[in-house]
Amino acid sequence: MGRESAAELSDLGHIAVPGRGRNMASMTAVVEAEGLTKFYGRRKGLEDLTLQIQPGEVFGYLGPNGAGKTTTIRLLLDVIRPTSGRATVLGADTRDTAVRARIGYLPGELALEGRDRAHDFLNFMADVRGGVSRGRIDELAERLDADLSIRMGQLSKGNKQKVGLIQAFMHEPELLILDEPTSGLDPLVQQEFLTMVREVRTAGRTVLMSSHVLAEVQNVADRVGIVRGGRLVAVEDVAALRERAVRHVEFHFDAPVPPEAFEGLPGVRDVVVAGASLRCTIDGRPDALIKAAAKFTVVHMVSSEPDLEEIFLTYYSEEAPRAHAGA
Amino acid sequence: MPTLVRKTLRDYRRSVIGWLIGISAFLSLYLSIYPSIRSNPEFYQQAALSKYPGPLKDLMGGLADIASGTGYLQTVVYQLLVPLLLIMFAMTLGTRAIAVPEEEGTLELTMTLPIDRRRLVLERWAAFALGLLAVALVTMVLVLALSAVGDLKVPAGNIVAAHAGLFLIAFFFGTLTLALGAATGKRALALAVGGGYAVGGYVIETLGKSVDAISWLRWVSPFHYYLDGRPVFQGWPVGDYLVLLGATAVLAMTAMLAFERRDVGV
Repeated sequence: MGRESAAELSDLGHIAVPGRGRNMASMTAVVEAEGLTKFYGRRKGLEDLTLQIQPGEVFGYLGPNGAGKTTTIRLLLDVIRPTSGRATVLGADTRDTAVRARIGYLPGELALEGRDRAHDFLNFMADVRGGVSRGRIDELAERLDADLSIRMGQLSKGNKQKVGLIQAFMHEPELLILDEPTSGLDPLVQQEFLTMVREVRTAGRTVLMSSHVLAEVQNVADRVGIVRGGRLVAVEDVAALRERAVRHVEFHFDAPVPPEAFEGLPGVRDVVVAGASLRCTIDGRPDALIKAAAKFTVVHMVSSEPDLEEIFLTYYSEEAPRAHAGA
Repeated sequence: MPTLVRKTLRDYRRSVIGWLIGISAFLSLYLSIYPSIRSNPEFYQQAALSKYPGPLKDLMGGLADIASGTGYLQTVVYQLLVPLLLIMFAMTLGTRAIAVPEEEGTLELTMTLPIDRRRLVLERWAAFALGLLAVALVTMVLVLALSAVGDLKVPAGNIVAAHAGLFLIAFFFGTLTLALGAATGKRALALAVGGGYAVGGYVIETLGKSVDAISWLRWVSPFHYYLDGRPVFQGWPVGDYLVLLGATAVLAMTAMLAFERRDVGV
């Protein structure tokens, strides 16, 4: 575990990765970037991004602020133009205007101003995109608990974000591009938002969402890509990442257990046996540990939720240059 | 009407109504005092001429026959103050097409709608033109009415011709700021360049009549094509107006092409 796999996995960004057991090779990528590069004068925004996002996939796009997430997203929406390289969205060139009716977009720095009331603004957005089904806007407003009778310029930050989410979701777009979607939302609304994202995936539609923390996307994303300093340094399958996760596990038995029974198990570290209880750390699959513990009578078991963030940071803060060299 | 034009006009509504009230109040005030000037022409003519030294008189359009209805209308309405107000209004709307929403950040979402960039500029420009046209039409009707009431004895056709020029000069400067905003995304720059050209152009046209050193520059001043034909006195200066209209069309095309090429909001 570690070096080679990090380097190897970083290669996955360059090829279609089958997600959730589907045969993706036969489908056209929803987002496809090839050598996408953007310089703002001399300042690097994004360099040589090659990436494919498949239909029905939720792709988490991670990186610290200023790493190039928003640059990528603005390039995909043709708000800014690439210095070199190319990108297609839903099979069309990013310059193709018509395709944007099939995209829902939430900007990272959402600005909503003016005296229009939120529902008038949403109706306008819906009209230009060719209309939304009846009652759809109200339904979303109810789910997110948004008040649409307020003038846009007077909306609170949280309410602006809700209006932004409604306009992104309301026309049931084939591709959702969400830049830091959960910023400013309270936890309850965040949960509702994540439910909405899962519904979109269930319907076979595609989501690209950015965040600066993995914890925000790990429960909905199929894959995550990490961008750092304008470069995509890794693309990971979340399920695989979870498998490699470090977990702290505790077993309580009905009688004291012999420490030897838990020695030398693959992937099990820091074993501490104290009478009838066992504490240890596992890397990846818990299988060997469970089978060893099954020989005794287990009264109680505690397993902490794996902290993917931790793995991510340990791998990519130290090994990013190496992984990058492999890519 | 296209959705974006309708929406943009709705956004401009308060601004349009506000400026309309302001300009109408100005017109009503000044045109309603004409009868007292007419009743004492020598006094007011002398007062006007002695109040301003030579070059300032040129800036005010001569002031030669301020006591006649035609001269009064030219000096008070069409020479300086009303064009100034209408140009300020037009430049305000012109920056609100692209530069202001770009600086606010609201343009980003509009750009991700299925409207291509040229059409976005075109529809914003159309909304600006309609807003300006509304103010121009209502104020024209007001001038026609007040001239009739105050018995200014100016042919209605000449008032229509002069007001058409008023619309065109404001249309030109508004389109100029719109184009500068579309090309750069910077409101302050658009207003500074547009305003500088307006003031400079006015000074060159009015002083250039008596200062030979700058008189050759008059043809680059938009005001030359607005003032030189003296429509209040002589009716439609068709050629001059076509120059203004043509220049405006070129600016609008430039706005579309410039906006088409660049990165927005960075």
